[in-house]
Amino acid sequence: MFSLYKKELQGYFLSPIAYVFIALVTLIFSGFFVWWIFTASSTQVEFQFSYFFYYNILLTTILLIPILTMRAFAEERKNGTEVLLLSSPLSVSKIVIAKFLAVATVLIIAMVISFIYPITAAIHGYVVIPNLIASYVGYLLYGLAYIALGLMVSSFVATPGLAMLLSVAVSLVLFFMELMLGSSFLASLPVLSDILYWFSNQAKFENFTQGFCQLSDLVCYITEIAVFLLWTIISIEKRRFSRS
Amino acid sequence: MVEIKHLTKYYGNKAAVKDISFTIKDNEILGFLGPNGAGKSTTLNIICGVIPSTSGTVTINGYDIENDPVKAKKCIGFLPEIPPVYTDMKVGEYLMFVAGLRGVPASERRSHIERVMRRLNIEDMSKRLIGNLSKGYRQRVGFAQALIGDPKIIILDEPTVGLDPSQLAEVRNLIMDLKRDHSVIFSSHILSEISAVCDRVVIINHGEIQAIDTIANLESSSGANTVLKIKVQGSSREVAKTASQVEGVIRVSNITFVKTGIYTYDVEIADKDVRQSLLSALLIKKLDVLEVSEERKSLEQIFVGMVNKPAGKKKSLQDLLDEMEDESEPSAAEEDSQESSDQENEEV
Repeated sequence: MFSLYKKELQGYFLSPIAYVFIALVTLIFSGFFVWWIFTASSTQVEFQFSYFFYYNILLTTILLIPILTMRAFAEERKNGTEVLLLSSPLSVSKIVIAKFLAVATVLIIAMVISFIYPITAAIHGYVVIPNLIASYVGYLLYGLAYIALGLMVSSFVATPGLAMLLSVAVSLVLFFMELMLGSSFLASLPVLSDILYWFSNQAKFENFTQGFCQLSDLVCYITEIAVFLLWTIISIEKRRFSRS
Repeated sequence: MVEIKHLTKYYGNKAAVKDISFTIKDNEILGFLGPNGAGKSTTLNIICGVIPSTSGTVTINGYDIENDPVKAKKCIGFLPEIPPVYTDMKVGEYLMFVAGLRGVPASERRSHIERVMRRLNIEDMSKRLIGNLSKGYRQRVGFAQALIGDPKIIILDEPTVGLDPSQLAEVRNLIMDLKRDHSVIFSSHILSEISAVCDRVVIINHGEIQAIDTIANLESSSGANTVLKIKVQGSSREVAKTASQVEGVIRVSNITFVKTGIYTYDVEIADKDVRQSLLSALLIKKLDVLEVSEERKSLEQIFVGMVNKPAGKKKSLQDLLDEMEDESEPSAAEEDSQESSDQENEEV
């Protein structure tokens, strides 16, 4: 399993994909950082987590994570290398987990690089450490959930490009679901809005940016990741039965 | 040793493989012969655990592929039809990765892949990107991949497709060499390859086994006759008539035009002594025999005969419909158009 993880991670760094991903994540971070400095009303610099992370995660999950996950299974299927993995002494669940961990590592590397912003802010001003930690935990879990989602979509189709478009589409649908949640129409339907609220990633993420690390939110994100990964395993197993 | 018992695979309600049973002994090369779409690849994929069977069991060195897949798969090296190589990796990197995947201990990996690369003559390629290699070299890298981890059983799905004649001979020698410490299953739709290297042959068609035997036994049991290819100057009708009147000549077939007045004929004769009387009969009629060649046993005909036999009892309506579709197509498929790409696509 480790050798597959290593190979996947190498694959991301041998091609431009990982570099482009990290560069874009850093660009988004720095863009919001500069924007936030320009609009700051006081001379006392204080790190504003909610703004900073809120738009950031949206752009990252909708546009960037699909770039990372699109190749995972779709390309193996396209090139016929899936057979190599399936005939090797690795179970499907180990294959999925190895690929998931490889993508997660790229995300973590990007996050570690983004530490320069709070550090810069801390030198010149004030950073609330508990908020910062909670925000990063939330950011990681949110990211991992979308990585799992991206892997799942990638396991459904046979071309990486299609996998990426579908992942973006699914992420956008989820994003609009969150937008609707704030509308007055849904507020008039308490049952529906409650149900949608349970599945809202944004709402939970806001708790994290406020510095709250709630067990219920943690469990919810982890369940989400587990469900998507399990679905990926099932989709690959199912295709084994029907492939020709 | 691999034991396959009552293997059946349905895709929807279409049977790809029906009730197949055979065994592969240790240190044996087993040829797996059948036309395109006969179920060869499906069977091999099931043996390797890539796809599950609908029913039946595959036991590899005592491990069941369904119940004990990890241990069973460790005994198998598989080269699928399309070599499963990553085009963006270097040859050495790729083989290191496969060695890790197969559980070769980290300290032995380097020496192990060097040994495999030496065996396949690809040491010079180790620093090159697989994507930049020619098809023949890619095939060899795929071959190397199957040998990594010294699996007891090596399964090759049409390993000779797309190779040039010298590479073909190399692959043949390699397979013969593998026999010393491996069992090999080797599928092909080209008869001469199978008969050159294999100890035993399994002939499969329409997902059913038509014959399992050694090549010698197949030849004797089928009553196959010697076929003479002769080139004669003269009217084709007269030649055919004269030849078929000779005692011992079973059939004159495959009359092909060479140039005006010259035709070639395939004459099937009961035994070699008939040749003399055939030639003298033609000479008496003043028919000039220009060439006599290729005294070959018609193993090809056994194969074609078995393959052309209509499939056994039909099990579903879908099969009947498929059969009707097959019949409406030109039936010479087995002879020359085997390489044609649309046939290839039907292959499972």
